[in-house]
Amino acid sequence: MKKLIFFAAALLAATSVQAQKLVIKGSDTLGAKLVPQLAEEYKARNPGVSFEIAAEGSTTGIAAITDGTAQIGMSSRRAKPTEMSAAQAKGVTLKPTIVAFDAIAVVVNSGNPLSTLTKRQIEQIFAGDIIDWSAVGGSPGKISIYTRNTSSGTYSDFKELAMKKRDYASSSQKMAGHEAIAAEVGRNPNGIGYVGLAYMDSPGIKVVPIDGATPSKESVLAKKYPYARPTFYYTNGEATGEAAKFLDFTLGEEGQKIAGKVGFVPIR
Amino acid sequence: MSQTSIPQPIPTTFEIHRRRLRFLGLSLDDVIRAFFGGNALVAVIVLALITFFLFREGSSFFGQNRENLQVYRSAGLEYVDIVRKVETDHSSLSRTLSSLRQRALIHYTTAEQISLEQANQKLAPFDDYAMRFGDAIEPMRSLLSDLTDTATAIKTKYAVSQDKREERHQLEAEGKATEAAAVKIDTVDFAAELKPILGTLPIYKQTSREFAQQLQGLLDESPTLPKELQDRLQTFRSQARTFIGNLPKVERDLEAWDWTPAIPAWRAFTSFIFGREWLTASFWQDRYGVVPLLVGSLMVSVVALTLAVPFGVGAAIYVNQLASPTEQKLIKPCIEFISAFPSVVLGFFGIIFLGDHLRSLSQVSWLSWVPGFPIAERLNVLTAGCLLALLAVPTIFTLAEDALNNVPRALREASFALGATRLQTIIKITVPAALSGIISAVLLGFGRVIGETMIVLLCAGNRIAIPDFSEGFAAFTQPVHTMTGIIAQEMGEVVRGSIHYRALFVVGMLLFFLSLAINYFAQKIVRRYRISIG
Repeated sequence: MKKLIFFAAALLAATSVQAQKLVIKGSDTLGAKLVPQLAEEYKARNPGVSFEIAAEGSTTGIAAITDGTAQIGMSSRRAKPTEMSAAQAKGVTLKPTIVAFDAIAVVVNSGNPLSTLTKRQIEQIFAGDIIDWSAVGGSPGKISIYTRNTSSGTYSDFKELAMKKRDYASSSQKMAGHEAIAAEVGRNPNGIGYVGLAYMDSPGIKVVPIDGATPSKESVLAKKYPYARPTFYYTNGEATGEAAKFLDFTLGEEGQKIAGKVGFVPIR
Repeated sequence: MSQTSIPQPIPTTFEIHRRRLRFLGLSLDDVIRAFFGGNALVAVIVLALITFFLFREGSSFFGQNRENLQVYRSAGLEYVDIVRKVETDHSSLSRTLSSLRQRALIHYTTAEQISLEQANQKLAPFDDYAMRFGDAIEPMRSLLSDLTDTATAIKTKYAVSQDKREERHQLEAEGKATEAAAVKIDTVDFAAELKPILGTLPIYKQTSREFAQQLQGLLDESPTLPKELQDRLQTFRSQARTFIGNLPKVERDLEAWDWTPAIPAWRAFTSFIFGREWLTASFWQDRYGVVPLLVGSLMVSVVALTLAVPFGVGAAIYVNQLASPTEQKLIKPCIEFISAFPSVVLGFFGIIFLGDHLRSLSQVSWLSWVPGFPIAERLNVLTAGCLLALLAVPTIFTLAEDALNNVPRALREASFALGATRLQTIIKITVPAALSGIISAVLLGFGRVIGETMIVLLCAGNRIAIPDFSEGFAAFTQPVHTMTGIIAQEMGEVVRGSIHYRALFVVGMLLFFLSLAINYFAQKIVRRYRISIG
């Protein structure tokens, strides 16, 4: 009996040594959908690789690389100067790699005569300074604002990108998902909301160009569209081993296709 | 005469051969008894556990909320918000001006029949005026934005030090004493940190005075507007004068402001119960005030009960008193079947069908006298209330019918014997006799409605704001958020143990107490006012 237990333990130890474990920590923008899907696909191709993904915010991702507790750190922002210095103090070089772009499209009802809005107008509309469409050159009508619910990542991302971190107007309606926002705006002639790029073609809505720039692969890549930002993998210097392979897979054709599918703008 | 025979005792054949089956010393009867008793006990234990869990998770909210409010004061956010109030008041004055412009535009194009272009030209001086009025705030606004940044920085610093403290705590809990001691915690010296903010007071005073002068100058001008709108312009002027008159008071408030007083413990409670704002994931300050949610829940319930009580009670009276047995057999199962619909199905029905059709109905011109019509948002109190009424009808119907059934036959028969008609008997005898039961049926229907989640989540519109009651009943066509809805919507993604998480549990506690109170009163009314039979 004792022998059997020992044998089982030895077997377990052997397999765990053999299995490659990739620890990825950081941003929930990347960690919510994209990276888990990439990991699934990667696992299907490379049996024996296992993943540990923790999406608790960009800060934790960068800190994990500095502390050496993860091979890849996900981040939806560049490292801050203090983080860079902290890493250097520990002899770690933070190396960012752009994985994909995250963009948010502002949508209105397709019956809305508006053809463009400025960044300032968007801020004023969502913060509740402007409450009537006539103030921005539309036909008179009270603006109905649709946002994501308060605990969603996009909710605060949009505040940061478009509203100078101000709070949404109290008249805004909190919807459960992007498709709910698209559906409401599609049925309300006075509606305005924002959706991820994957939902831009929903019926009844149209995308408003911001300062003349429409959200698309090209405008995002040319940095013309304001409500987009790159998302990063952080590594300690050049990635090595399994991490390097996963990074290549992410940036390769397959990985970028998945990125496009879950609503990111591929880098190429 | 005869011999007396002594009866021989008959040998007893009742000897029990089979010993009763006993398991662990228990007979079958005991086992059955224990089974039923155990079931009841499990129910009680589970209820106690749920209540305990609810209170355990929720109770630390008040401590956290007090700290939240304390940081709001200590980090100077409270001070900055005094200045911010000036800015928001000014923006609302600017909005008045832009609504005046809109009215003027409509007046020119419809009453005076001039083209849009000419009207816009005619309004150009007014636009200039409005723009100067709006721009007057700019120096104040840039000061405010600096103050905001500074206060946010102090708050972030404090948050970071709290996180570090938490980290040390975690390490200590793991038994890693050396690592815990190595965690560097910066204590935030609020007095020193606040100096740059408080130091801006002379600048603020200067800015505020210049601002007041500029506005005063603008008020002495009279922008050109059609005669019909002069009254409104006068109202605007008097509002603006009050606003300017208030500016010195703001200065005094700022001078008197002090960061040191501690927030009393009761504020953590009152700011929840009476707080008019539910604001989470804010970069500035989170607020957990339950009033908008409570008002939302109550408004939805009011609409639902207004519809469900006449239908439910009316149907109960008809079925119990007037219907033929065949009708009874048809109507009763039909009404009771409504409750078989899952509420999520009713919710989808609301999104896909009812919301749209209510809105297109509200746009019919001859219905425009109805308050709140035409409806702007298709998902609102009315849509959700209509669907909830469907859920409440079976509850109210069944219980009210029971209550009518319980009215002693003798009462009705006596009434008939005195020559009352059937209708007179129903109105004057049966219904009053069953009234306590009917009222408790309505209360239980209310309990059903206020606890319902899926329909309000899908159909109430989820706007976290107290509806604008200044337009009377029109408030019922506005979107609201509800207590049940917010728990369902936010619980999934919220950080465990955070103040937001606790706040949702406290909302759950409030709901629990509401349901408890409703059920208690329903029971009490039935007991207190039941007509004794016999």
